[in-house]
Amino acid sequence: MSGDMDDILQVFFQECEEQLLELERGLSALSDGDSGHETINAVFRAVHSIKGGAASFGLENLVRFAHVFESSLDGLRSGRIVPTHDIIKIFLKAMDVLSDLVAEARGGPSVDAGRIAESRSELEAVIGKDKEETGAATEDAAPQDFVPVPVSFEPVPVDFGFDDAFAAPAAEPLVVTFRPQAAMYERGDDARNILIGLADAAKAVPDGEIAVTCDTSDLPPFDELVPDRPYLSWRVVLPAEVSDESANAVFDWVSDVCEFTLSRGNDPQPQDDEAVTAGEDGAELKKTPEDGSPAPVPQVEIAAPPAVVASPPAPVPTAAPANNGNARSVRRPEQASIRVDLHRIDDLMDLVGELVIAQAAIESLCRRNDSTAQREMAESITSMKALTRDIQDAVMAVRAQPVRSVFQRMQRVVREASSMTHKDIVLTLEGEDTEVDRTLVEKLTDPLTHMLRNAVDHGIESAEDRLAAGKPAEGHILLSAGHRSGRILITIKDDGGGINRERVLAIAVKRGIVAPDAVLTDDEINNLIFAPGFSTAATVSDLSGRGVGMDVVKQAILGLGGRVTIHSVEGEGTTFCLSLPLTLAVLDGMLIVAGESTMVIPISSVVETMMINPADIYSLPDGSRMVSIRGNCMPLIPLGFKLGLSTSDKPSADAVILIVENESGARVALVVDKICDQAQVVIKSIEKNYRQIPGVSAATILGDGSVSLILDVPALIASAIRNIDTRSQNTRSGLAA
Amino acid sequence: MTEAAEATDAQIVKMIVFTVGEQEYCIPILSVREIRGFEKTTALPFAPHYVCGAINLRGIILTVIDLAVYLNIQPQANNPRRVVVIVESKNGIVYGLLVDRVIDMADVNIDTIQSVPEEGSSLSGLVTIGNRMIGVLRLETVVSQLVEGMASA
Repeated sequence: MSGDMDDILQVFFQECEEQLLELERGLSALSDGDSGHETINAVFRAVHSIKGGAASFGLENLVRFAHVFESSLDGLRSGRIVPTHDIIKIFLKAMDVLSDLVAEARGGPSVDAGRIAESRSELEAVIGKDKEETGAATEDAAPQDFVPVPVSFEPVPVDFGFDDAFAAPAAEPLVVTFRPQAAMYERGDDARNILIGLADAAKAVPDGEIAVTCDTSDLPPFDELVPDRPYLSWRVVLPAEVSDESANAVFDWVSDVCEFTLSRGNDPQPQDDEAVTAGEDGAELKKTPEDGSPAPVPQVEIAAPPAVVASPPAPVPTAAPANNGNARSVRRPEQASIRVDLHRIDDLMDLVGELVIAQAAIESLCRRNDSTAQREMAESITSMKALTRDIQDAVMAVRAQPVRSVFQRMQRVVREASSMTHKDIVLTLEGEDTEVDRTLVEKLTDPLTHMLRNAVDHGIESAEDRLAAGKPAEGHILLSAGHRSGRILITIKDDGGGINRERVLAIAVKRGIVAPDAVLTDDEINNLIFAPGFSTAATVSDLSGRGVGMDVVKQAILGLGGRVTIHSVEGEGTTFCLSLPLTLAVLDGMLIVAGESTMVIPISSVVETMMINPADIYSLPDGSRMVSIRGNCMPLIPLGFKLGLSTSDKPSADAVILIVENESGARVALVVDKICDQAQVVIKSIEKNYRQIPGVSAATILGDGSVSLILDVPALIASAIRNIDTRSQNTRSGLAA
Repeated sequence: MTEAAEATDAQIVKMIVFTVGEQEYCIPILSVREIRGFEKTTALPFAPHYVCGAINLRGIILTVIDLAVYLNIQPQANNPRRVVVIVESKNGIVYGLLVDRVIDMADVNIDTIQSVPEEGSSLSGLVTIGNRMIGVLRLETVVSQLVEGMASA
């Protein structure tokens, strides 16, 4: 039982996460001026659901806070409170506390009691005139006093006591009683279907829940029980808003084999008493007609609640008996799970079906032994190849997740950071629906948090400075995501003061990152902020200034196979661009041979390939070479020699040139011995069991089982193009203190 | 793994004994994942001279160290009995040791390991079994050199 409870608790936490997202979305909408009824209701519902769920698991702290939060939101809902900017801020803060409390309940770090109290008193201040009421509520908001009204918290079979279920409906609820006849079970129908139908009817109205009581009074003693005869009847209470017609419709197919009545009103139910008696006897009868047997063979099970309220889509109408005591003691480590659109799974299923057919086709071709078989076999394999690729894409689509979850979290980061720095900052999100691989989404959180904090702390100036510079006092940060030629591009753009290059350079010199007499381009100075140990903050603040951060960000992004570029205009703001691969798993590559090794070059970085023409090569005094491609000169890199795999740097006569390009458009020509193939390769880490190799990003396994290296083209380019990266490296290593 | 073995049985550690060139070496058997034949490796750029290259072990890419080169011993070039001992370090790094021949297993009493004044500290000491002298390879050194060796280049 505790295992079941644990699972349910997991579902509850997943739901909480969704509700919190919903809450965040709602509050953002509110702060954007959308104070529509729907929005406010959504916000209220989210908090309410968390409270209701938490109550049923006995998560006291969470319930108490959610209760206060809910009360103040109720003021909003009833129109007593106008959602001004300040009030929404209070709500947002409360939301952060709430989400921390959820994390705490989940086994995370405990939340500072002071913070809770502060947020709570703010919330109470919001409701002001309802003070007495709220005060009373907070004093004794212990879960046992709090009446858990049925909530719209769906996938968890929350089983509230029967009486509580009647606390909510105000008007006269619709009472449906029905008693299936044997004939109904004989034709394979089931009381469960009716219950589900009624639950669906109830769901159509807001806060629609049904209360179900099973009448077991006709049940004979066990030894007299005839297995294929029906004994049970049910009494279902639906919300008042449910129309008679919709309830009637549920019985359309069974009206000839099932007695049923519809009535309005909330009269006392004799069944309830009897059910209680049954409960006291220690044997409660679980309705389990869904187990396939034609008759409702009641399963005898000892259970506490005499009556059961099923929330609509509960897996079975027999909700699990409450087991609050155990729920808190057992806590399983978080299980990673994702929600996937059904159609994506369906697509995948279709493709797998095709794969099975293709395999059968190949098998039958194998058995045939005539002249055409071989050709057909080749065709089959080609189509199978296409199929494999489609399946791969489909699996990737399953793994893909919108970046929204990370982006939404950033709202909070900015909110907290800006309140800490006393700045007024609005974070605008764009392209939250952009989908990237799940692993990437997770790994983005830390770098983005860093960068946004940095933007708040260093990027945006103080309100006075902004006003003096003729900008609005409120700072703006734009966080956007989008797809660019097979990669995802994330930009963080602030409208702050931009990078003060003089200051950056001065600090870099002072810290010994750059030699005093170094001459750096603007770009190079911008990039200094990524240098380890660099910090422009005059004082070390809570947020930043300890000199760890931006270099960590850069390392993290590089580790994901991404690049960071900075664009900054003094006085206008700074833009960081992160360019990341869509997936960390598979890559389209060109298989080449250099220095007797087969290697893979990501096809996205190859611009063109051509035969080498000795007349176009020009040797430089330091032994390196340049090549002219249709009049454009670029460095020529003999790949095998560059990687130390061959001793001669002289290109052979039949060598091939690959022109490769990095993110910023810099090009070099790689000399390789030959091009073998183009293929999709699976990326395998080398660093896991070895170390980082300059110029190599990862490895893959070829069809013959041998290992092949995947080249890190931007790194190769960087090491070859002197006036971009190499020079700053030289200055640093050569002249630094 | 070796530590676990040492903790439960403070005295005796089971070692796998192999030859490299003329000499014998041993490592704790619990750190060995498997032993497989030597196959073609893929050369790695900028690798230390004792790294033969990378191989694919059921989807994991790992490097093979030529122990003869690592230990400054004349390698037996055309020895068909050369095998790769796949070793997993305590922190989960998997790598292969190319040895000439696996010959034996031995119970080694830790206390009988005599330390040696070797500069590279690639051996934790020598044990004598009968009149054979066997070097106890210090795998921690090997793996740290393998993983961190060349961060500066």
